[in-house]
Amino acid sequence: MNTQVIKDPTTFEYSLEAVFRERDSISRAQHAAFEQYAAIRMPHRRLEDWKWSDFNAELRDKSPSLAPTAEALVDTFPLSELDPLEFRIVNGRIILPDEAPRDGIDFGVMDPVGTIPELEKHPLAILNVAMISKACGIQIQEGVDYQRPIVIRHINYGGGLTFAHGLMRISKGASATVIESFEGEGAALGSYLCHMSVCDNAHIRRYVISEEETDAVTHSILAAKIDKNARFDQTSLSTGSRLSRHETVLHYCDDDVRANIDSVALLADDRHADFTTNILHKAPGCITRQRHKGIATDKGRAVFQGKFAVERQAQKTFAQMSANALLLSDESEANHKPELEIYADDVECAHGSTSGALDEDALFYLRQRGLSEREARAILTMAFATEVLDDIEHDEISVMMEGRVNAWLGASI
Amino acid sequence: MLKIENLYAGVEDAKIINGLSLDIPAGEVHAVMGPNGAGKSTLSYTIAGRDDYSVTGGAVSLDGDDLLELSADERAAKGLFLSFQHPMEIPGVQTMNFIRTAMNAQRRVRGEDEITAGEFLKAIREKAKIVGLDDAKLKRPFNVGFSGGEKKRMEMLQMAMLEPRFVVMDETDSGLDIDALKIVGDVVNALREPSRGFLVITHYQRLLEYIKPDRVHVLAGGRIVKSGGPDLAVELEKSGYEQFIEAA
Repeated sequence: MNTQVIKDPTTFEYSLEAVFRERDSISRAQHAAFEQYAAIRMPHRRLEDWKWSDFNAELRDKSPSLAPTAEALVDTFPLSELDPLEFRIVNGRIILPDEAPRDGIDFGVMDPVGTIPELEKHPLAILNVAMISKACGIQIQEGVDYQRPIVIRHINYGGGLTFAHGLMRISKGASATVIESFEGEGAALGSYLCHMSVCDNAHIRRYVISEEETDAVTHSILAAKIDKNARFDQTSLSTGSRLSRHETVLHYCDDDVRANIDSVALLADDRHADFTTNILHKAPGCITRQRHKGIATDKGRAVFQGKFAVERQAQKTFAQMSANALLLSDESEANHKPELEIYADDVECAHGSTSGALDEDALFYLRQRGLSEREARAILTMAFATEVLDDIEHDEISVMMEGRVNAWLGASI
Repeated sequence: MLKIENLYAGVEDAKIINGLSLDIPAGEVHAVMGPNGAGKSTLSYTIAGRDDYSVTGGAVSLDGDDLLELSADERAAKGLFLSFQHPMEIPGVQTMNFIRTAMNAQRRVRGEDEITAGEFLKAIREKAKIVGLDDAKLKRPFNVGFSGGEKKRMEMLQMAMLEPRFVVMDETDSGLDIDALKIVGDVVNALREPSRGFLVITHYQRLLEYIKPDRVHVLAGGRIVKSGGPDLAVELEKSGYEQFIEAA
């Protein structure tokens, strides 16, 4: 006889609990995680961190089941000239590359671990821990400069519930490039939680491309622990969906970490994209540079929440954050919440936030040179985005990202 | 060539151009001089078709084509070029890409073939040298970090590349040193030909030492109050605009 763990559940939570109970095996830790979720429940707008991305309002009346696991018919991922190593996670099912690990990489399907203490009160992280069965594990061995881009394609379709989990380790002195794409029709709720370890002197370049269809509801978290003198570079591009939020949580555990965290949101129709980041500086001498560019037209909504926390011992921290929004229509919206929480006294931290429309003087200038209004708007919008995309280290990836922006401009401007 | 008849125009509720008429035949350079607030920039923006400037009466045509019916980009494709008093900086847009995009946009509207990369590079390097802009500047974001003089040289470079039929120069001389003024004069003089016309709008006579106008007009109170030969510019330099402001 089962007793409902979630009290007074919404229709969605009733379905969620049914899906949880129908699973073949549930560990003690997952039972505990689900009970923890039941105490917190689906986040809603009355919570400060979720006021612009109300998952409860979006989901409460839905009653999805677990999405079927099957192969998906998808196009070949671009960048074939770089010989990418491709992983697919289709409706939560992990499909490894069709080759044995070699050249300093290990990968496999493994049992998941829990989550980090800081995420135990995060409703969607703890729900992910409760609901997943396997994790996609990837490790770059010590000292290996892994040349092939590691592509992880999250493909959801059919409108069910999907949960996926990743475990990634960039060992000491190793480096790698990871591209994660979120594609397909999307899920009623697609949830992804990835734990990453970037060890001493390692370097990870992570690119996120979120391009799902309109009805997708997506949530992802990358939680990375970064060690001494390691480097973390991330550029994300999202065209949003009904509700889409990508979170990045970084903990600098030792001295001299360098991180660049950039994001671009391109939002048309009534699409929504939320980039939320939480960077915890726990050690001295670390540098963080963060830039966000939100571009919205029609009724699109670009949300950016960035937090820099600097602990007392993290002296000589240098951290800069800027968030700029370009609003191309009267009904488009940008919500920015930059936050600094600083307990050290010898640091240089700053944030800036702007929003505005295209410059009428610049538009006239371009049109006087012969560009149509549409071309002029597109070129200025592209220029706004390329301030971030031009700095991508790999030319091929930069070109691919700019191609996505151009395609969006062609369809939306 | 450019014919303005009894033009009334302004911005928002302000009526700035009040019954202005001008006729600039092909092959001629006409200078319009006037004091602050006379309507010089309004005249150039109205000819070029800026959206927030409204025309309440009169006509403007280029070789018989009614310009007022056309958008700013359509006017540009007809061969109208405005050299801006305050050229824009456009971060994120590489200079060469922008100029090539502009050339091809105009060519497409005119039904011409796009310029090839080879032809473009050859032409822009040649012309950049003439206006005194080095290669590095052409690879930078458009006008970003350029001095006032460099921005005006960039206007001259675009004019030389786009080869317009009619050029409106809106106080191109403002903020320029003698060397840059000479370059502006050299570029304009090199482009002078029987089929091309120029309207040079300026406060001062000094630009006209480098670009010899065929006619000089005084703009005050939103209309032409006096016209004459090149000597009129010299006379204005001595007497100032006060008599015309009072008359307007």
